[in-house]
Amino acid sequence: MSQDQVEILQRALKREKAARKAAEKILEEKSRELYFTSQKLEQLLDEKSSQLQGVFENIIDAYVVMDLQGNIIKFNEAATKLFGFDIERESVNVINLIYKEDYEYAITSFMQLQSNGYFKDYEARVYTKSKEVKWVHINASVIFDKDKNPVAAQGIVRDITEFKNLEIQKEKLLSKLEKSNDELQEYAHIVSHDLKSPLRSIHALVSWLKEDNINSLDKASLKNIELIELTLEKMEQLITDVLNYSSVGSDTSLREEIDLNGLVSQLVSILYVPENIEIKSLNILPNITGDKTKLQQLFQNLISNAIKFIDKEKGTIIIDVEDVNSHYKFSIKDNGIGIEKQFHEKIFKIFHSLKKSKDSTGIGLSIVKKIVNLHEGEIWLDSEPNVGTTFYFTLKK
Amino acid sequence: MKGIVFTEFLELVEDKFGLEMVDNIISSSNLESNGIYTAVGTYSFSEMLQLLEHLSKNTGISIDNLLLVYAEHFFSVIENSYPGLLATYKDPIEMISSIENHIHVEVRKIYPDAELPTFEVIEKTDNNLIMVYKSSRAMHHFGLGLMNKTFEHFNSTATIELEKIKEDGTEVRFVINKN
Repeated sequence: MSQDQVEILQRALKREKAARKAAEKILEEKSRELYFTSQKLEQLLDEKSSQLQGVFENIIDAYVVMDLQGNIIKFNEAATKLFGFDIERESVNVINLIYKEDYEYAITSFMQLQSNGYFKDYEARVYTKSKEVKWVHINASVIFDKDKNPVAAQGIVRDITEFKNLEIQKEKLLSKLEKSNDELQEYAHIVSHDLKSPLRSIHALVSWLKEDNINSLDKASLKNIELIELTLEKMEQLITDVLNYSSVGSDTSLREEIDLNGLVSQLVSILYVPENIEIKSLNILPNITGDKTKLQQLFQNLISNAIKFIDKEKGTIIIDVEDVNSHYKFSIKDNGIGIEKQFHEKIFKIFHSLKKSKDSTGIGLSIVKKIVNLHEGEIWLDSEPNVGTTFYFTLKK
Repeated sequence: MKGIVFTEFLELVEDKFGLEMVDNIISSSNLESNGIYTAVGTYSFSEMLQLLEHLSKNTGISIDNLLLVYAEHFFSVIENSYPGLLATYKDPIEMISSIENHIHVEVRKIYPDAELPTFEVIEKTDNNLIMVYKSSRAMHHFGLGLMNKTFEHFNSTATIELEKIKEDGTEVRFVINKN
């Protein structure tokens, strides 16, 4: 081997050694880097774990983790309290917690969890350890590993027993209320009918009595008989009104498009309006959706009230309407005797008639209020004694 | 530039032209590293240029052709060291078109600071592929060599044309037609 070749080899060897040292140095640096990175990751993991642990422990709802076979792996404190099991000491499978009547629903939801990866707003009953039945609301989702394989499922379970009980109680009360309402209405019908027939008999008997003794009775007695007849008529009217009032609240109301303008003009032509009273509309009344008979009753009551209480020589009744967004606001204004402020609320209550007269039973305005309420409206008034009264009411469009 | 490109290059030079040639091109270049390379180190690209230039001068082979031969050698390094990577492909067009999205992703896992060229797929059918290579190193023939070997690996051949988009070779269109 020549000197040159030896030197080339020596240089190559030197480079190889130096390269090896450089590689070792890089390796050391990488090791150190790796160490610090893993330190950092561990710290991050600790932090995240502690955060999660905090959520797990502090969450008010019960938090449950189970494996894919339904065996419970984790309970937070709320879950332990709710179900009563100590899962560190006893093994529990969710299948055994399902209330028997909700089994099918539970299986359907479980299948949904498997196919969609989650289910929401599951509401059913569960058994606790002491075999108590509780209503729960559950949102659940599948936990996946990093390769997207399902490994477990987690659920947030809320105890809604109290809420459910209240709901059930409410439903019971409602149906009870409905029933007693129906009964009451039926009762009113029967009572009215049963009251009317003896009234009619009395009426007939009294008129026979009058006819048979028209010559032998003195003036005072005839006057009293006349008063009996009037009272009987008033009583019959009262019963009719009670019957009307009790049927206003029934759900049998028909909802259709009603031309109020036509309805009111027809009404005015039918009603007895004394010659000294003028009824006019300032605007064309709109069409609304409602029950024709009841709306007719509403306008009839208010207009005839106005007619009834006009004491002026020249009476005017003004009907008007105004569009107020979702409702129409109607007004019926008269120049009658007026109503004192203290009675403004009272008059809408049943049997509150301010004027004792033969054609006033004190039921009309309470029917009016009921009809307005049925059309999602309100009724109120403005009035000055001796000057006049304006009734305002709103009806839903 | 990653050390593995230097160590494999010098090994090939030693293999083809002997240790004297290695000694010669290192001694005649002005190298910051003094010619000491380890696969896991990182070195200046200008060192590779000098080594290539001196080898070209001493052998009379153009730099492009040297790069082509070197790439063919380098493919065998990949074949031996990373057989798993090649096994994920069944077709050369598939493999070449996924340089950017797969192969370079894998390279970065081992060499996070590697400065890699980009290969943008312009057109791709079952048998044809048009890509644009971009790199300040202008080592398009290194790419060409790797592509040739890729077809060979899958027992196939192709006609690969290079069109320089930029005169200095930093942007080159590869038009690949499988035979």
